[in-house]
Amino acid sequence: MKKQVTITAEPINEPALLSQRVMSQGMGAVVCFLGVVRGTEEYANISALEYEVFQRMAEHQIDLLLDEMAKRWPIESVRMVHRFGLVKVNEPSLWVEVVAPHRGEAFSACQWLIDELKRAVPIWKKPVMGDR
Amino acid sequence: MLVTVCFYSYFKDLTGCARTTEELTCGSTLEDLFRALVVRFPKLGAMRKASLMAVGVDYQSRTYILREGDEVSLFPPVQGG
Repeated sequence: MKKQVTITAEPINEPALLSQRVMSQGMGAVVCFLGVVRGTEEYANISALEYEVFQRMAEHQIDLLLDEMAKRWPIESVRMVHRFGLVKVNEPSLWVEVVAPHRGEAFSACQWLIDELKRAVPIWKKPVMGDR
Repeated sequence: MLVTVCFYSYFKDLTGCARTTEELTCGSTLEDLFRALVVRFPKLGAMRKASLMAVGVDYQSRTYILREGDEVSLFPPVQGG
């Protein structure tokens, strides 16, 4: 399984990511997920989320998850981008792409990866209060 | 033996620092370290059940036996995504 993980303070450039997609002829499903910052946090208006990451551990934990993912599903490739620093409301903080032979495994693997990311990868967020 | 401890997220606010060191006796566990840290940083005491601990880049249980030079990280539940 090919994997590409980026943890960055730069905005997620979705068109550039899509243009770089590579997949073999046996693949029939691509699932993409965008996690976007909501404008409210516990009923209060916010203007952004400030993400903090323990980068070395985050990269290692994601690598462990991707190894597990490769054992569970016949995935050809996974690409993931997670931001840190200030991410404004309506901007994406997470982008995930899973390429697989069929939609079932692509959806399942993508859902599992995001659930596990939220359980195990050392990233935290703090709301920046205020109206936009 | 001396271990380094790094705090993340709001644990930095609770302790007032991002990094510290702790002198422990040989054979000490992560639980022993946590107890020692609570003595120095009492606000951590309320976070006992909500604290995750890692040594290097791997999660470890409270029974993990520490070694000289270990770098321990202590943080609240993660919130990526």
